[in-house]
Amino acid sequence: MVKFYSNTYSYDYNFPAVSLAYFLRYPNPYSRHVASTDTIERYFDPDTQRLTTVRLHVKQSRLPPAVLKVLPKSAVGSDENGRAQSFILEKSVVDVRQGWMETESKNLDWNNVLSVIERHTFRRPEEGLGTADHRTDVEVSVTLKSRIGEQLRKKRQRWGDQATASSVAGAGGEEEPVVKQGWFSSWSSGAVRAAVESISLQRTERSQPKAQL
Amino acid sequence: MSASLAPECNDVKERYDTCFLKWYSEKYLRNTATTDECEPLFRQYKTCLTKALKERGIDQMLEDAKADNKENDAEYMKPSAR
Repeated sequence: MVKFYSNTYSYDYNFPAVSLAYFLRYPNPYSRHVASTDTIERYFDPDTQRLTTVRLHVKQSRLPPAVLKVLPKSAVGSDENGRAQSFILEKSVVDVRQGWMETESKNLDWNNVLSVIERHTFRRPEEGLGTADHRTDVEVSVTLKSRIGEQLRKKRQRWGDQATASSVAGAGGEEEPVVKQGWFSSWSSGAVRAAVESISLQRTERSQPKAQL
Repeated sequence: MSASLAPECNDVKERYDTCFLKWYSEKYLRNTATTDECEPLFRQYKTCLTKALKERGIDQMLEDAKADNKENDAEYMKPSAR
């Protein structure tokens, strides 16, 4: 199951300024959770004048208490305060000739709990010179996917259904064997996945407007 | 300037970042760039960083991500069989 968020807006700044601001995102007082940013690849293509960059960010934050309660202890690599560290890989391509920039950020670890892929496209407006010069159009899309319980499900399928299979109402009506001797007695892993994705989607919707540079 | 995950690379990283921001805003964005002038500095920074990533065991995670991408590319760029 996957949750999806998308939005479009525009900045009252020209494309060069916005693309430069993107590389200068951190550090900033609204993102103290970003502990470090490193450039691990950078390639400039002299023919197309495109600049490709790969960066690695390290974020330290606390897991939302709602998610912490729902997760099995084995999946959570945090201390008892719920503080956790995560690595984000950011890829970007800037095409100064055609006036666009595409970026994709995703987490490298915690993928068994939740994987978030955030994509931005920044573009110089098509309209003629004049008003269009001081604007940049932006499209954002965020894809959230949880894979909790998938490994367990695959293992069960391989060994045959030893657990009693019963359909669980929830999570899109999937049929799933109830996780026996589970970490959470009444929830199937499908319901947990859906819960993790919903909580993350709500947080995304709340934080995306604030994140607009 | 943002910090590096490896504090020992902070100095060379700052030099590279300064060079990059200057090149980016003065040459690249004005469409007058012919080469990546900061490449030598980047190589120095990258050497320090690669060593640090290896020591911290993060390089394996990056290799896995790269392998994942290659798989995805192969899958999505396959000519569709119709």
